[in-house]
Amino acid sequence: MPRTRTTAAVLLALSMAAPLSACSVGGESSSSPGGDKNAQEITFLTFETPNLPPSYWDAAIKRITAKYPDIKVKKLVSPSADRTAYAKQLRASGQLPDVMIAVSPSGFAEAGDLYAWQPGELKDFLVPDGGAINGKVYQLPTNTQTIPDVYYRKSMFAAAGITTPPRTYAELLADCARLKAEGTTPFVVGGGKDAFPSVLPLTGTVATDVYRKDPDWMLKRRSGQVKFAAPDFTGALRKVGDLARKGYIDSKMVSLDYAATEQAFLKGKGAMYPMGSWFAAAGDKSPIKNDIGVFAWPTDDGSELLSQYTGGGLDVNARSKHLDAARKFALAFQLDKTNLDASVRSDALFPAIKGYTPPSDMGPVFTETYDLWTRAVKDRTTVKAFAWETGGDALLPGVDAKVFAAAQDVILGRKSPGSAAAYLDTEWKKAS
Amino acid sequence: MVTELRAARREPAPRAHLAAGRGRSRRARAALAHFGLFGTPGLLVYGCFVLAPVALSFWYSLTNYNPFNPHTHFVGLDNYRTLLHDQEFLTSLRVTTVLTVILVIVPNAAGLGIALLLNRKGWFYNAWRGVFFVPMVLSSVVVSIVWTRLLADEGAVNQTLGWIGAAPVGWLSDPSLALYSVAAIMAWQMLGFCVVVYLAGLQSVPDELYEAASIDGATAFSRFRHVTWPLLAPALTINTVVLLISAFKAYDHIQVITNGGPGSGTTATVAFLTLQTGFIANHQGYASAMAVVMLLIVATASAVVLRLLQRREVDL
Repeated sequence: MPRTRTTAAVLLALSMAAPLSACSVGGESSSSPGGDKNAQEITFLTFETPNLPPSYWDAAIKRITAKYPDIKVKKLVSPSADRTAYAKQLRASGQLPDVMIAVSPSGFAEAGDLYAWQPGELKDFLVPDGGAINGKVYQLPTNTQTIPDVYYRKSMFAAAGITTPPRTYAELLADCARLKAEGTTPFVVGGGKDAFPSVLPLTGTVATDVYRKDPDWMLKRRSGQVKFAAPDFTGALRKVGDLARKGYIDSKMVSLDYAATEQAFLKGKGAMYPMGSWFAAAGDKSPIKNDIGVFAWPTDDGSELLSQYTGGGLDVNARSKHLDAARKFALAFQLDKTNLDASVRSDALFPAIKGYTPPSDMGPVFTETYDLWTRAVKDRTTVKAFAWETGGDALLPGVDAKVFAAAQDVILGRKSPGSAAAYLDTEWKKAS
Repeated sequence: MVTELRAARREPAPRAHLAAGRGRSRRARAALAHFGLFGTPGLLVYGCFVLAPVALSFWYSLTNYNPFNPHTHFVGLDNYRTLLHDQEFLTSLRVTTVLTVILVIVPNAAGLGIALLLNRKGWFYNAWRGVFFVPMVLSSVVVSIVWTRLLADEGAVNQTLGWIGAAPVGWLSDPSLALYSVAAIMAWQMLGFCVVVYLAGLQSVPDELYEAASIDGATAFSRFRHVTWPLLAPALTINTVVLLISAFKAYDHIQVITNGGPGSGTTATVAFLTLQTGFIANHQGYASAMAVVMLLIVATASAVVLRLLQRREVDL
């Protein structure tokens, strides 16, 4: 009897624990789901945010299927904002969608999963080589986003006696001190389960302190010529840490997810909100839209600089059963004027399409953000946005999550800038 | 004569044995057919969906399998050697162990206490049993979202603390508290399960034993110690093993509430890190090694706990 019990105990334990190991690995199937060949049904992976609700996607899809009745679209929705991770899970189970939006092509492209757009198909795009990997473009370079812009509350600045937005980093620190003295938290920086809001200040300091001096820094990191532990990058981390040490970033807000972070700024929990240009859409929808201003993350010497990235469009599964339909749908989706206008209104995107101009009735936050960008483009004072690159100049797969975590560690005081940089180098090596 | 009689008596014996043997053989074949009919589908499902993936995971753990870099090589035990020095993995093991200890002790102890209070008849107690079981039937994602809102810095918990003059607490943003907050949420959700299992155990204890103990002059504490507690041993075994396994495979709560943060690794369990390594960083060979190590730890821990707890089970 004891032996039977022992055997039963071991079997029960194994049977309950075994599924744990079964969840880690998927197959390498490359087929995409598809129905009847004649139906030309394609799957389209989307994601939802406060700016991009289901109605936005449904209307945008309907516009294209109305033009092309021979194409049916099955909409898939990523369970979180991290649609790239979800696409990887779908790929592992042999269900990589036919068309995906804003999924980083890095990894997929090298594995031959994505269709490489031909020059003729990219003739309408302003930056036809945006996000290229080894010279080929796998994600339509449809939109430019500026990351970060620093959104601020004009009334809070005025109450602290600040008359103009800071142009130098020293002015930014002085303004933070004044705001803090007024009892106002200078910066709203969140994170929570979405993590990425924590990286925005670092994207700003890397732009001014690293990418400005060396625009190809990330390419050099990929080839091993530079490291995160280099003085410039560590200095960028130190600037972020100092903002937190001085109480200019409230470390408790790090638990806020993206939506809650946005609400915290709109509800006046802080005076400044470093965020991507897509915030302009939410800003213009809010009742305080006329109280919101925007400036670029300040440089040490006060010269203009704005970090941006062009990409973010649709990727097409190279192994789609309906590749022609998928390509036709993707191009039409990205070039349709009404869709572009809707993306501007809903997500404050800057379409990088030749001849396109945003609707004239956009709100003040978008207009100011857009003007900041067009001025920077005209003055040629733009650099890429660190941790937001998606092409051959992107962080290695999985390292972006480590960068978000390192930024949080520095804000929370868990890691010194030096140890955070060393951690990133270790994680980079593991990811290589 | 005697010999003849014996011979006469023995003579039919071989036939009887033969017949009996044939009978046993028929019964064995019938039993085998029954087993095949009813057992094979289950075994096939178990083999396909549990044993085969486990075997595949083990195989992948011996390779550098990366689905985005299809040049897969056999690397032997390299992945396991790397794990031994991987600070991130070792941290996740520590996080998982802390979570497991909390999740095994807290719901077990609280569940037993509540079950003892609710082990009475009447609609009031029935209603309370339902109340305690509700979190168990809710999706862990729903529970996580609700508690994330409650424990946010501006959430209801901190607002309540503010009303009584206490300073707000960074339940999820303070790296030294976040793991305990997640553990508390998971313990809250598992509490209902423990209550129900302990209630079932309490209701199976015969009243005669309590009556006999009372006649012998046993106090309430003595009755609990010498009657209730030994007879609750099977319930304790079930609760402990289920909690142990649930804690080790904690993923969904972590994903929704903290995404492994704040910062690096403060709440990242082994299951969470395995998924991140496999599906975000694409290192599925290495992630499989993590999964295999976790399987071995959980299987061993479960078997040991089962063996220890079953020793004290009493048959009535």
